Amino acid sequence: MPKPKVGFYDLTGCQGCLLSVIFNENEILDMLSKIDVKEFRFIMDEKYSGKLDVCFVEGTVVNKEDEKVLGKLRERSKILVALGACACHGNIPALRNFADEKKLDYLKYEKKHEQMQDMEKPMPIAKFVNVDYSIPGCPPDRDEIKKFIKEILLGKEFRNYSDPVCRECRLFENGCLIDDGQICLGPLTKGGCHAVCTTNGFKCYGCRGVTDDANFEGYFRLLEEKGKTDVQIKKHMETFAGIEINEKLKDTEWQQLH
Amino acid sequence: MFVRCLYSTEQTKTKCLKINAVQQKLMQQFLLKKGDFSKFVNTAIKDSDFVAPVEGSREKQNTRPFFREISSADEIYLGRKSYYTVKGFFFRENEKIFGFNGNKIINPESELKDTIYFGLRRCDLNGIYHQDIVFLDENEDPFYKARRDASLLIGYHCREGDDYCFCNSMELVDFFDLMFYDKGENYAVETGSEKGNSFVKKYSKFFTKADNAVSDEDRKTVNRKKLNTADIKDDYDNDDWKKGSDICVSCGACNFLCMNCHCFDFEDDVEFDLKAGSRIRKPASCQLRSFTRVAGNHVFRNERNARFKHRIYHQLQYFRERHNVQFCTGCGRCIEGCPVRIDWVEIINEMKK
Repeated sequence: MPKPKVGFYDLTGCQGCLLSVIFNENEILDMLSKIDVKEFRFIMDEKYSGKLDVCFVEGTVVNKEDEKVLGKLRERSKILVALGACACHGNIPALRNFADEKKLDYLKYEKKHEQMQDMEKPMPIAKFVNVDYSIPGCPPDRDEIKKFIKEILLGKEFRNYSDPVCRECRLFENGCLIDDGQICLGPLTKGGCHAVCTTNGFKCYGCRGVTDDANFEGYFRLLEEKGKTDVQIKKHMETFAGIEINEKLKDTEWQQLH
Repeated sequence: MFVRCLYSTEQTKTKCLKINAVQQKLMQQFLLKKGDFSKFVNTAIKDSDFVAPVEGSREKQNTRPFFREISSADEIYLGRKSYYTVKGFFFRENEKIFGFNGNKIINPESELKDTIYFGLRRCDLNGIYHQDIVFLDENEDPFYKARRDASLLIGYHCREGDDYCFCNSMELVDFFDLMFYDKGENYAVETGSEKGNSFVKKYSKFFTKADNAVSDEDRKTVNRKKLNTADIKDDYDNDDWKKGSDICVSCGACNFLCMNCHCFDFEDDVEFDLKAGSRIRKPASCQLRSFTRVAGNHVFRNERNARFKHRIYHQLQYFRERHNVQFCTGCGRCIEGCPVRIDWVEIINEMKK
């Protein structure tokens, strides 16, 4: 079997996801011996414009240029993979969706508006093209990236980790941050991150997206009992997976909150 | 192991009673001075691994007691029932079942050391008893068996339960190698197996023989909470279950904190050569949607309510129908560990009113 032609590309983002790929120090050489990397600007100079078997795309679409690049990548690729929270859920760049525009007025007076991007609402890549697989997370888990590549090589269907962050948190015998009165998105968020934030005492911000059967109503009720206001919860939820959560809570009072 | 006879069929009952009569003779009682306790533990630590409950640790962001391997008696915390169970030592996350290289199967090597598990409450011990039924009696699981063979179970009796436990409502059995009872200046120690007796013999300088050191009064635990254990077979369609499932946030904490829950999932992991790899077992949770998902993305218990009921029915009904033993040991960890504190005991009590 010929090696699959693979490309790693980035739109607007911090490129931490691409680092997650090359941070697999112990296995990177094994990995690169199994795939034919055609473009990956962190490790090679070459540009490539031919067809790809697997195309990893990192970052959010924030302007027309990103949209154009993404469209071309889609045309050239058999399998397109959204890599990381920005590509999957919009992440931090997509916070602009929830910004109060009046607060941005000052930019006009500082003549910075000309530098502002031409697209008002940054969006995850699935809003523009068909995405075959997602590897979520900010940054994505390097073990999951390896697992994905192996399964593609084996011709298997890649299955995302779908259990909530709480699973790993409990198995690692962590304390519960919700019990401690924090707005932790653990019960709503897909795990597979080895509960890295919560294990180190940081509340979960939901960077891996929402679980299949998240009970928002139950969650809001729980946090309200702990004295949290809807606005506080909303602000916390918008940080990483706001667009996805907004869609799940469409036509509810949630969207009016500020 | 001393296990009070519970089996209902005549044949097993006679057999069980005979075994119990033999085991009863094995039971011996001793006293251990509290002043000698640290010395005893520190001596035992030199000979085997020693697992005991400790207070929560800052590095784990956890203020609740959990079990861990200790290196000194000072670390032991017996103030209250541990929040996390000892289950993880027997039934592990990412257990390698076998390795493979092409068509060759490679069995995992294990270097097991004898381990003493100290400070297990009656609910913990009964949980291990139930795990034994599943992993030894039903189908023998070599990994579990190896760990159990290398283990010595030392109990610590609860005088008073906490706000969540209801062990008195459940049919618990005496199941231990050694059991410690707090008797003021001393610990009264009861043996429950041949293993327990030889352990006492090994450390005989710390133990003084004392018949009748443990009274029936000592064996009692005061519980604030009670469960109405009337049959729930006909209550499956009761709307009251929704009181629990509507507020459940599907985090699975109840399963992972339960001493009895033992469901698992398998995963294959391959090396980059795509030839070698291993099959891995990991604990699963029946409260999560992934649990009943099968090929074609069909989910048998898609509704949260069905999953919630499944857990309770497994704890109170299915296991008893199959093994004649009540599964739930009444430790209440599923209620205490639930972020929403879903009190299914209250839900059932209300239902039965």
